[in-house]
Amino acid sequence: MGYKRYIVKRLIYIIPLFLGISILNFSLMHSAGDPIRLMTLGNPSPNIGEVRENLRIYYGLDQPIYVQYGIWLWRFLQLDLGTSFYSGRTVNTIIGMYAWETIKLQMVALILALAIGIPIGIYSARKQYSKLDITITSSAIMGISIPIFYMGIIFILIFSFYLGWFPSFGAHSLQELRYPFGSYFLDELWHLVLPTVAIAWVSMALYIRLVRSSMLEILRQDYILAARASGLSERTIIFKHALRNATIPLITYIGISIGLLLSGAPMTETVFTWPGLGYLYVNSVTQLDFPVIMGINMIITLIILGVNLITDLLYGIIDPRIRYE
Amino acid sequence: MPRTILKIENLKTYFNTWAGVVQAVDGVSLEVKKGETLGLVGESGSGKTVTSLSVLRIVPRPGKIIDGRIMFKDEDLLRKTEKEMQKIRGAQIALIFQDPSTSLNPIFSIESQLIEVIQQHQKLNKEEAKEKAEILLDIVGIPDAKLRIKDFPHQFSGGMKQRVAIARALSCEPSLLFADEPTTNLDVTIQAQILDLMRDLKSKFDMSMVLITHNMGIVAEMADRVTVMYAGRVCETSSVNDIFLHATHPYTVALMRAIPQIGTEKQKLQVIPGNIPNLINPPSGCRFHPRCKYAKSICKMKVPELEKVEKGHLTACLRWDEIKKTLLKERERAA
Repeated sequence: MGYKRYIVKRLIYIIPLFLGISILNFSLMHSAGDPIRLMTLGNPSPNIGEVRENLRIYYGLDQPIYVQYGIWLWRFLQLDLGTSFYSGRTVNTIIGMYAWETIKLQMVALILALAIGIPIGIYSARKQYSKLDITITSSAIMGISIPIFYMGIIFILIFSFYLGWFPSFGAHSLQELRYPFGSYFLDELWHLVLPTVAIAWVSMALYIRLVRSSMLEILRQDYILAARASGLSERTIIFKHALRNATIPLITYIGISIGLLLSGAPMTETVFTWPGLGYLYVNSVTQLDFPVIMGINMIITLIILGVNLITDLLYGIIDPRIRYE
Repeated sequence: MPRTILKIENLKTYFNTWAGVVQAVDGVSLEVKKGETLGLVGESGSGKTVTSLSVLRIVPRPGKIIDGRIMFKDEDLLRKTEKEMQKIRGAQIALIFQDPSTSLNPIFSIESQLIEVIQQHQKLNKEEAKEKAEILLDIVGIPDAKLRIKDFPHQFSGGMKQRVAIARALSCEPSLLFADEPTTNLDVTIQAQILDLMRDLKSKFDMSMVLITHNMGIVAEMADRVTVMYAGRVCETSSVNDIFLHATHPYTVALMRAIPQIGTEKQKLQVIPGNIPNLINPPSGCRFHPRCKYAKSICKMKVPELEKVEKGHLTACLRWDEIKKTLLKERERAA
């Protein structure tokens, strides 16, 4: 079949795409500012010019930009993302530390949003214009309209500041003493509640609307009426005939959002001081920590390209009309 | 005398929309006798399809059956529970849709769609159901049924898809088949093939059939009796011969005259002036009166009941007696 050839072809396409994106990122980053000046800001030393020159040579920033890019690319191909200007640790180590927290947070939130959003969307479509449907759709519009950073702050204010039920920042308690029942796992869950609910709240609203509208569209189709006319049960009709058709737009959207979510949703992580990629990203950008910025950029790029490929392959599994050439 | 298999009495199916209540089917009564083909004729929007969906009780929202009785084999379908109806749908009463390209689910194979219906109503395991599905495809004239059963709907032509849809409808050997304009979306040569097939299958499976159409040619060829509908009501019911030769309801007469005659001298196509009325706010009295050239003031006020013209011939016109005489005169003059 054309399946394997299609995958190989897509993987080859990734190479020029990746090069283009990395060149664009590299040059944009270099025009953002001078990290050496930022590092030595306010330094009263009389021979500051010389210090800066030495630092530039030390970090390799004295070379022309295309040479710097070449060196970066050569190392990247050897899976070496360089060393942070500030912490002195390798970028691989840093990203490894932060990425897990992002994956954990975003995946839990995604699963939560889907597990609640899909059934509600189906219900809403089946009972179109009922009182509950109108309540659901209007709250969903509110959910979409409220930006996550605002929602997050409100959550912290209510559940952390006033009620004191959940911690307001971080992924772990700082002291082991504060672990609920002394369990590390429960401590993780405890910290996960507020940020995941805030993220899920907003994305769930999108999934409800998406599922509702595609289900409405599908339930109007002749083949659903034909399935009813054949005496199939309501369950088979909804969950087999209708829902499987509705998964196609759903997968498209999940694919897009996974790419964005794994980049760490910088705003959410900043609001909750969540030690993930988004938080790291914001910090690295403000410090102009070039190797870390490039590292995160490239990880995000690869994830998005990979998820795109997987989504396209999933279409073919669900819809037999899609063929790969 | 043939027994009645389906008797609809005073069926009312309304749609509650934002704009108002659409009286799509408003007091329809008709009868299907065992073994016969009833042609259900009328313009688009006259309530033919809604009537058939009402019988299966699958009228899509916001439609609702308000009143009436639907006697199928002497049992009122409107009194059955949803579970009981599921056992009747597809097993005893089946439905073929107008557009075969939309009535099959695009993402499931023909095999799975047929097996699903077969297993829903018959205690067969997957292997047996598959065997039965292959036999069915063979019966409806799909070549290489054993190979093609694995295919998906988009791999079939329109006519072939309709054959598959027929196979699905017949999979549980129903005693009554509703065919809702089964050939409208097919080209003419395929139409004839499908109609032939349906006629064959009807006698093979010993079914009664309601053929919904607006093509009088198909009616003449396929039906034993005809029921003409207009704006959600029945105008006239009679044998095919009477409809073509002795129609008494002005709408039926106009419908007959609107059929283009091939072979006669060149003449303007006769049309019925006006449009089918808005069913949210239908005309008072006889719903056809605004377009009827025989209408008198009484037609605006009184709702006509179905009256017996002769045995097996009913008409819902207040003035059918006078009109019959007028028509006779017109015919004599023409001759």
